Amino acid sequence: MARLEVEGICKGWDFPVIDDLSFSVEEGEFFVIVGPSGIGKTTLLRLISGLETPDQGVVRVGGRDMTALPPYRRRIAMTFESYALYPHMTVYENIASPLRARKAATSEIDERVRSVANLLRIEQLLQRKPGEVSGGQKQRTALGRTLVADPEVFLLDEPISHLDAKIRHELRTQFHALEDLRRVATVYVTHDYAEALSLGDRIGVMGAGGQLEQVGAPRDLFERPDNIAVARHMGQPTINVIAARLKRRDGGMRVDAAEGTLSFRIDDSHAPLFERYTKDDVTVGLRPQFLRPVKDGQTAADTIEAEVDIFEPLGASGIMLAKSGGVRLTALTDPEAHYDAGDRVTLAVSTDRFHFFDAVTGRNLAGSA
Amino acid sequence: MADVTLTNVNKIYGEGPSAVHAVQDLNLKIDDGEFVALLGPSGCGKTSTLRMIVGLESISSGSVHFDDRNVSALEPQDRNVAMAFETYALYPNFTVEQNLAFPLEVRGFSADEQKKRAQNVAELLRITDLLDAYPPALSGGQQQRVSLGRALIREPDVFILDEVMSHLDAHLKFQMLFDLKRLHRELGRTMIYVTHDQVEALALSDRVAVMSNARLQQVGDRNTLYNAPANVFVADFIGEPPTNFFQAQAVESDGDLRLAVDDAKFTLHLSEKTRAAVKAHGGARFIAGIRPQNLTPATASDATSGQTTATLSAKVSINEYLGERSILTAHRGPVSFRALAPPETRSAPDEIVELAYDPANVMVFDPETEDLVH
Amino acid sequence: MAVTTANSEAQLQQTSTVADRWRAVRYLFLAFMALWLLFTLFPLYFMVITAFKSAAETNLTVPTFWPNEWFPQNFAGVFAEATNFNALVDSFIIATANTALALFLGSLAGYAFARFPKQAGGENLAFWILSNRMFPPVAILVPMFFLFDNTPWGTDSHLSLIILYLVFNLPLATWLMMVFFRDAPREIEEAAYLDGWTPMKAFVRVTLPLVLPGMISVAMLCWIFAWNEYLFANLFVGTDVRTYTIVIPTFTHGSQTLWNLQMAFSLIAMIPPVTMFILLRRYMVRGLSLGVVKG
Repeated sequence: MARLEVEGICKGWDFPVIDDLSFSVEEGEFFVIVGPSGIGKTTLLRLISGLETPDQGVVRVGGRDMTALPPYRRRIAMTFESYALYPHMTVYENIASPLRARKAATSEIDERVRSVANLLRIEQLLQRKPGEVSGGQKQRTALGRTLVADPEVFLLDEPISHLDAKIRHELRTQFHALEDLRRVATVYVTHDYAEALSLGDRIGVMGAGGQLEQVGAPRDLFERPDNIAVARHMGQPTINVIAARLKRRDGGMRVDAAEGTLSFRIDDSHAPLFERYTKDDVTVGLRPQFLRPVKDGQTAADTIEAEVDIFEPLGASGIMLAKSGGVRLTALTDPEAHYDAGDRVTLAVSTDRFHFFDAVTGRNLAGSA
Repeated sequence: MADVTLTNVNKIYGEGPSAVHAVQDLNLKIDDGEFVALLGPSGCGKTSTLRMIVGLESISSGSVHFDDRNVSALEPQDRNVAMAFETYALYPNFTVEQNLAFPLEVRGFSADEQKKRAQNVAELLRITDLLDAYPPALSGGQQQRVSLGRALIREPDVFILDEVMSHLDAHLKFQMLFDLKRLHRELGRTMIYVTHDQVEALALSDRVAVMSNARLQQVGDRNTLYNAPANVFVADFIGEPPTNFFQAQAVESDGDLRLAVDDAKFTLHLSEKTRAAVKAHGGARFIAGIRPQNLTPATASDATSGQTTATLSAKVSINEYLGERSILTAHRGPVSFRALAPPETRSAPDEIVELAYDPANVMVFDPETEDLVH
Repeated sequence: MAVTTANSEAQLQQTSTVADRWRAVRYLFLAFMALWLLFTLFPLYFMVITAFKSAAETNLTVPTFWPNEWFPQNFAGVFAEATNFNALVDSFIIATANTALALFLGSLAGYAFARFPKQAGGENLAFWILSNRMFPPVAILVPMFFLFDNTPWGTDSHLSLIILYLVFNLPLATWLMMVFFRDAPREIEEAAYLDGWTPMKAFVRVTLPLVLPGMISVAMLCWIFAWNEYLFANLFVGTDVRTYTIVIPTFTHGSQTLWNLQMAFSLIAMIPPVTMFILLRRYMVRGLSLGVVKG
């Protein structure tokens, strides 16, 4: 049982992929790294596991420097995005593999494999080959192979991204329930922000520069993103980002969109943000769920008029692309509502939910969470 | 342009005892200019159905009509349908323009016509700046557009899209959904979209045809599928997070009919209409279903708003914060279920929450046939 | 209504002409296949019946296509000289040892080329090794003879041919094994490292089983080459060691070729490779890696 530390790690081939990246995960902590695909998340896990050697930097587990050890000398278990099951072995033998590697007694192997299979509800599949089970079951087998190993660090690479929505819900619940994962340091990699928010004790958002843009608790990341990149990555549909100009007047401040005629009042609660901000340009971020059509007979404090461009009912909610004062906006609607292109709608704006970013650096004016 | 009518279509692979009935008695009419999604899990028969419409697969019995024209026996090239595939299947040694024009070239169109139409399609798909590029240099989303363009360039009567988005990243997928929707609006052509992803199906189509086990289960728009699913399969397959189902027993006290959930010591209230339907149906055992969206933490405003809500207290096992919302997994005894909550909800595990629901949103199914009672 | 009927009739007619055309193409194809079969099977047939003819019957000016008289004694005749049987044994030893060596070295080299292309010398070196198989064997016949003549074991030994045949079989084995190893997903091996297996054990436990079907195919190819080789065997061995290929031409009587004995011996020599092929056929079907990757 140990804490994982990654310190100043660098790795590149023709260009740098991971650039001076550091973080640490406490024993028993579930740390999620989220970022778009192809950004180097898998490379990071491979560096921690020893499948790749860093150009620079140190990986420590429980205070011991692991950087020079080959993967089979580290006590680190990892699942692969492709599952990487042994196709010629049964599910049983796949799960037993780490135990056989350390020459455990047959009776111990049998006991451990069966208890893990029971936990993951795949005990009836033990004699099948990986080619004969479904995607979700393959994932459980791969997970079983890592759980049985009793490692010091768990690395999980996009374990549920390729599965159907329903199985994703089920496996997410399972990750919450698996106590083995909550006992050691776990690093979980995904491109799905909802998975990250759901599972992570802390989350690191990985950006294009091969570094962590922000590290924090789920609510901090979503409600107080450090910069526009983080805000854009968290949330579906993507946050509305509007380039705007500050208008400081007596009796309140406003922001006007840089292009078009759209204009918003700035909520009093946000006024302190602008005391030290001397520029006129500012970038406004507003999540689609805080931009909603006003229903008949209801009123709202701040509204804008808009014309519907495209409407898509998504099941749990509807998504509306609309244009207001020359600015394209995404709004969220009730799931049962229906709109046609060209409809005129009034949208209620929750001005107290605005995020303000520095127009040049993209940093949140509210500072770090 | 054409409407598409499938009449008693069957597809049987193989013969004798090993025969597989892939599509069974399928009847479906798709209107001219309509966008219909064929939705179902893998192996449900949707791909066979699509291949019969295109003509890549023979029809075992029944017929396919485009308008009044029976196309059942025609070769694919004589049907005027076009199809875009899951895999991009672009020719890497051709430019985007040559790739787009290829279907015209093999049909002997003039070079001028080829150029003109390629230009038009490229504009439609917003890839004009890529016309001279080669496919390997394009991103996944761009390749997918070129592949769509190649299907569109022939100006087919019926346009079929087969799982075209399953390779794309979530963000790209979202963009592509809007593009396809716009494309359909601008072209006004009959489109059939085959997918296993309900979000794609609901977002794009006017109507969704849900298939399972070789049979068409239900055809309808989002609200029909959500509020009046034909059976347990549809109720379970459509909706996210997944619908909660309970095995339950009908109990009556003081003239009020409720469903007592097995092993859980709670009863579900029913609306007046549902009560009547359950009584008319008869029997004592039922499957009750309620969507997580319709089961939310009770707030003070519920009590004052005077809505006909019922409540149910349960112990939280997981509170999943997802940014825009939270999913509470809660349980009563051994029975576990999910409820949707606003993201501000701070309920911790083992806390007792009061969940509210509108009895009108409780769905009741027959336990034998699994069909909707009400 | 009338229009619809006319339409469907026209369609019906159209469909039937298309069907007719397809039927004609099918018959042409079948006829071609029949001719091709005749062409390839006739030599085999003639070999079999010749093996059962009397010596006199093989020398008729007008050949018979069915033995006038069956002569199964031919099969005993070929073993009249006891050393002829030893020739089969010698061939077997040489082919088997050579195959084992080629597979062992070829697998290691192929693995190196597949997994560590830079360290192993790159694609060019791998291709150069394969190109060794492309020159005409006759070109090295004489130099090789002198080379082996100067080794302690000389030319007339099992070892000389076992090593010599590596010149042809090793490049083939290396190249094909490289292709098979490349197809075996690297992540499966890496998963084994993370399970705690050392690279050598991971190779044996995980990677080798994955390429086994390919390996068996390579073994068949190597073995058959070594079993059937004549040119080098004819020059190198003949006294202490004799392969069956150089025994066959010795069935003569004065200036007369004993075709019946030659064919009978050839038929016997065909038994090992054919048996092996039948036994191993199902292992040669690829498909073990199904279900390795997502989906």
